[in-house]
Amino acid sequence: MEKKIFSAVGEKEVTRAIVNEFAKQFSEYVESDCLIIGAGPSGLMAGKELAKKKLKVLIVERNNYLGGGFWIGGYLMNKLTVRAPGQEVLSELNIPFEEVSKGLYVADGPHACSKLIAAACDAGVKFANMTVFDDVVLREGNRVVGAVVNWTPVEALPRQITCVDPVALESKIVVDATGHDATVVKKLEERGIVKTVGFGAMWVERSEDLVVEHTGEVHPGLVVCGMSVTTTYGLPRMGPTFGAMLLSGKKAAEIVLQKIK
Amino acid sequence: MRIPSFIYLYDSGKTESLNLNEISQYLKNIFKKSKIQIRDDIITCYLSNFFFKEREKVIDNLANQMTKIKVREIEIKNTVFEPLQGEIEYEKKRLSESGNKSFGILYDGFELMTILSKLIAKEESDFSYCHIVFTNQLFSTWDEGDLRYHARVSVYGFPSVISTTGIVEAPAKPREFYLKKQLWIDIYTLKEEFRGRFIDYDDLRMTEVMKGYVLQAIFYHITGNPFCKDKNCRLYNAHWQEEVIQAQLNKNSEYCKKHQKIIKQFGTENFKNEYI
Ligand SMILES: [Zn+2]
Repeated sequence: MEKKIFSAVGEKEVTRAIVNEFAKQFSEYVESDCLIIGAGPSGLMAGKELAKKKLKVLIVERNNYLGGGFWIGGYLMNKLTVRAPGQEVLSELNIPFEEVSKGLYVADGPHACSKLIAAACDAGVKFANMTVFDDVVLREGNRVVGAVVNWTPVEALPRQITCVDPVALESKIVVDATGHDATVVKKLEERGIVKTVGFGAMWVERSEDLVVEHTGEVHPGLVVCGMSVTTTYGLPRMGPTFGAMLLSGKKAAEIVLQKIK
Repeated sequence: MRIPSFIYLYDSGKTESLNLNEISQYLKNIFKKSKIQIRDDIITCYLSNFFFKEREKVIDNLANQMTKIKVREIEIKNTVFEPLQGEIEYEKKRLSESGNKSFGILYDGFELMTILSKLIAKEESDFSYCHIVFTNQLFSTWDEGDLRYHARVSVYGFPSVISTTGIVEAPAKPREFYLKKQLWIDIYTLKEEFRGRFIDYDDLRMTEVMKGYVLQAIFYHITGNPFCKDKNCRLYNAHWQEEVIQAQLNKNSEYCKKHQKIIKQFGTENFKNEYI
């Protein structure tokens, strides 16, 4: 008799496994403690920290992959640099790195990124990838209490056949970790609820500090972290590297914890 | 117009390379009859007038004012924005920490001077007092010529404000520096290559350079004119880092002949305004 390597499972079982498990998780995470928009380094970091504290965290990501710009350092070269004390976070995540000059550390992009994603998953973060943020959910006093989302491919459809309504997710607090776009903050601005400053007035090398220092609640129920901080507050744009993203994510988590206690 | 009886130097917080004792000694040699005093940074000095409970209110108020004088766009003359909560929080934190730092945010220099002038006690507000505030805030002034803001090292008035961040960021670095920066060479490599040709953060030459700016502030106080046309004089209004270095660190000629003569007179009974 022919010996098989894999157990006998039919197509229908495979499909059911996917649909049922996804539906179960999605239904459970329609309501969460913290909804993070954007699975780049700052969003992943914030999510990991919050999930470690037993919060129910869902990260929405419009791409099929997680990690944002963290796979690649810059100029398509997959080495990441962080300045002290960013390397402490690398150590914490067991990411190997080297000191290349005083206070400047370098790590492998793929290694660092996969470890960060794994750390978030291990902590219990759940993800909705291929999902795009469409709008905010608002309550009394314009407090942000969730997000309206849709499948990413729906966005790519021609306008005349895109009458696919989105769905809404609720949470106690929303984090905008969408990078330069600051998509969530921009949506509030479109609605006339906040007025952002626009892009930075000038470039100064010490701008990483500013990203971390300005990370926080920008409007009731909405915290900004990572590069979206620079867009929101008009901070210098070119300085920040990955250390600021990681530390900003950490700080965002601390603020979320304070706010929803 | 007369020589101030009191010259107060306010520290900028944590600028380690700035040695105010040395600057004070330098001034003592010129203004032999003035009383020169080094003070804490001006915010800390002002806050010490209030009890702990009131302080929070005072900081709130100051933070609000500071957010409103941020330059939002370099090519648009300041329009007042309603500050975001996060901006106020940032300023509150900056102001409540002694040795508060401020990197990367650009303020309007004259507006900053106006805010700081209100922190000076009434009894120290006449012309016998010269207040010189060091700050690490970066500020700029609007130029009607090319209709944009330009970062500055100093604004002179009551008080005069001198920026330790401004001395790094405001005077232009050598042209090749900017050409190479456009080629995406990272700032650390670039700074290494051009080391010595511009004043950097924590630069050991900071104190020496600042002596000239302090003198400009006092010249403004006494004569209304802080600047000299001679590139080798400490009163030269430098726009390039190379000019800063030439005017402030070239020890062969500290001042031009005219200013040397005036400075000599400062310490004597014979000083009369006609020298100016
Ligand atoms: Zn001169």
